[in-house]
Parts: sequence; C-alpha cells; structure tokens
Amino acid sequence: MSDKDTTHFGFKEVKKDAKAGLVADVFHSVAARYDLMNDLMSGGIHRIWKRFTIELSGVRKGNAVLDIAGGTGDLAARFAELVGCEGRVVLADINESMLQVGRDKLLDTGRLGNIEFVQADAQFLPFPDDSFDCVTIAFGLRNVTDKDLALRSILRVLKPGGRLLVLEFSKPENELLSQAYDTYSFRILPFMGRLVANDSDSYQYLAESIRKHPDQETLLDMIEDAGFAQCQFHNMTGGIVALHRGVKP
Amino acid sequence: MPDPTLHTAALAALEAAANRALALSEQGTAVLEPLAGSVFACHCTTPELDFYLHLETDGVRLTGVYEGAVTARITGSASDFSELATSEDAAATLINGNLTLEGNSAPLIEFQHILADLNIDWEAPLVSSLGDVAGHQIAEILRGVFSWGRQASSGLARQVEEFIHEEARLSPPRLEVEDFYRDIAELVMRVDRLQSRVERINRKLQKS
Repeated sequence: MSDKDTTHFGFKEVKKDAKAGLVADVFHSVAARYDLMNDLMSGGIHRIWKRFTIELSGVRKGNAVLDIAGGTGDLAARFAELVGCEGRVVLADINESMLQVGRDKLLDTGRLGNIEFVQADAQFLPFPDDSFDCVTIAFGLRNVTDKDLALRSILRVLKPGGRLLVLEFSKPENELLSQAYDTYSFRILPFMGRLVANDSDSYQYLAESIRKHPDQETLLDMIEDAGFAQCQFHNMTGGIVALHRGVKP
Repeated sequence: MPDPTLHTAALAALEAAANRALALSEQGTAVLEPLAGSVFACHCTTPELDFYLHLETDGVRLTGVYEGAVTARITGSASDFSELATSEDAAATLINGNLTLEGNSAPLIEFQHILADLNIDWEAPLVSSLGDVAGHQIAEILRGVFSWGRQASSGLARQVEEFIHEEARLSPPRLEVEDFYRDIAELVMRVDRLQSRVERINRKLQKS
C-alpha cells in the first residue's frame, strides 16, 4: 500500500480524502441517465460483459451474493433470479443517487424479497467475516481510492471458497484498437455525455479514470497480493474490458 | 480461451430466439417443467463451439461456462446436432448417427420430442404488431412462400438425385451400393473363416 497522501482523480492528482467526494459528484450527476449512457457508449455490449460475469460467477440457488458498486442493479437483478427465494443478494453502492436509481428500478420490476440495498464503501464493507459466496464489482474498482484496501475488505467478507469477480475497463491488446479506443474515449465520449446527459466533464473523467486504472497483469498481481488464490483474467472485446476472478482460499 | 464477447453474444441471441419460439408455441414453457434442472454440455466440432443448454421452468438458458454437474455431454458437428433436432426417432439417431453421448440420454430424447412437437404460431407477433388484417395477410403470403420453397427444394433434390444416378451415371443408386456393401461384408466374413481354417490346419500340421 502506498504512503502517499495523494491519489489520481482521472489525470489530476488530488488529496486521498477528497477523491471519494469528487467521484460521488460525478455519479450524482450521471445517475439519472446512467443506463441510457451505458447502452449508448458501449452499443449495448456492456450487457454481454455482464452476462459473461454472471456465467463465471457460478452463483446458484441459496447463495449469498454481494454486488459492490452495483449502481443501477443490472447484475443484482440477475443474481436475485439465480439465488432464488432461499438466497440473498446485497446491492451495495457508495453513492446514494446510484443506489436510489438501482433500488427504484429493481422494485419497479418486481424484484424484492431476496435483495437488500446497502450504502457502503468498498474499502470498509459493513458485513461480518465469511458472509458471501460471491462478490462482484463491475466498473467500480477504478473509482475506489485505495484498491488494495478494498480487495482485502472483499476477501474478509467472502466465505472460504467464495469468488471475487472484478469486471473493469482495461488495456486493449492490439495497438490499432488502442488508438481507435483513445479517439473514441477522449473525443466522442465527452461529446455524447454533453449531448445526452448535459455533462461532458463526468464522461471526460470516465475516459481518464480508465487510463489510470491498472492493466490486466497489474490488477491480477494486486488480487493475488490481497490473498486470493486461483487468480485469472479473461480479456473481452480485445482487452477493452477484463474480467478478473479470484477465490478465497 | 478466445475472446468471450462474441461467444457470449451469439449464445444470448440464440437463447432469446429459442425462448421467443417457446413463448409463441401452443404448449409454451410448461412443456419444459418435467425436465427443469437438466443441463446438456454441447461440444460442436464444426464449427468449433462449446455451450451448455440449461432447461428451466421458464425457458432455456445457454451459457458458455458452467461448473456444475451435467445431465449429458454431447459431441458432434453442427449437422449432427441439426440431424438430431429434426429427427423423427431421436433414439435411433443417437445410436446410428455420428453424435457421441455421455451420461443420461433419456432427458435428451424427451427434450428432442418436445422440440419436434412444438407448434409455433408465427402469425401471432405479426398480428400483434401489424393488426389482424395486414398481419394475417402477410402471414398467408409467408406461409405460401415457405410452402413453395419446401416443395421446390424437395423437387429439386429428387431431380438432382435422378440426374446423378440415372442420366449422368455419376454415382450408383442406393440399392446397388447397399448390395455391393452386403457382398463385401459376406466376402470379409468368408475370408475370415478361411483364415481361421488355414490357421487351424497349420497348427495341426505343426503338432504332427
């Protein structure tokens, strides 16, 4: 863990204490149009990435699942179907606005009974040790101030044999794809953000935060260092997104 | 493992199509209830594709990854799978066809019967989106086109077969080939008998 008292917020260096507030402002701003923007930005492919995450989770009836940074509840909705009424899904998000949108969406679609909503910081998860069979964090880890602390916190709440799945933007494998992706991220994304959500700054932050996020191998090392076993990752869409998996020994 | 995005997208599209077809069938998803919980691991060799078919009470689910126990593992080419799906006698196709099956075949045969008996009402989505009159008329036209297509393709197949066998003599008719294979089988049997007889005589000669 670094002793520096600053961290990155996109391409800017900010005080560690300030990052959570800045990230919160971004998500307060985009929460209302989060799903629409996700579909527009990824051309709907984020649904395929999440589907593969669910397949790899191995979640089955009766399991307890924690979806950190669960946002608008895409993963939690499917997990709630898989665990059935004897299982339990916790949708956690540090951001009140995102949690509100996710809770409304799930309740409006009749998903209740086995879903709980918790406002929680991934670095300090408010759950007992060995509570969950599976923990997922999709497109959330890069916004966490201290990722190592968050990974250790996840390890603590997982049951032995439980799985961690980290779905996150990563580094494209192909140089040509990488250049096209850069152009898309820094020119088209902020423009779409301004057009649809009237907020180009938040989408500029999104592109910058992706570039500052550790690449596939570095994140794999971080997950291993946190104490997970059988760690592996799968590149998706040429490495634009990677799904990392680790098991609590 | 190759990039899972395309694989997962293809399975998602297939799953959506299968569930849509089930929803449009007279029987609906209720037919799957007795088989709910069955999982078939399918390994298609050409084109190379691995997937798991999960039968559930509310439809089918296709996944690329599954780590639980499976009901049966089926391996074969896409045409072998297609042959099984459209077969009138699934058990015979499994025994005589090129598919390799490990595990319990009974749920697979039952599922094949369900597929074969599905009566899908393709008119319903047209009527619901275009209205009764236009929807029905378009459905009639489509039915006519499909029926003509089926007749034309079976007629063409029959004529091509006749041309190959009778006119061009490029290939012998099926009965002649079957006779030929029967003769070969008999010849093989006779040669085997002769060989054993010769070996027996040799052994006697060596003893004496």
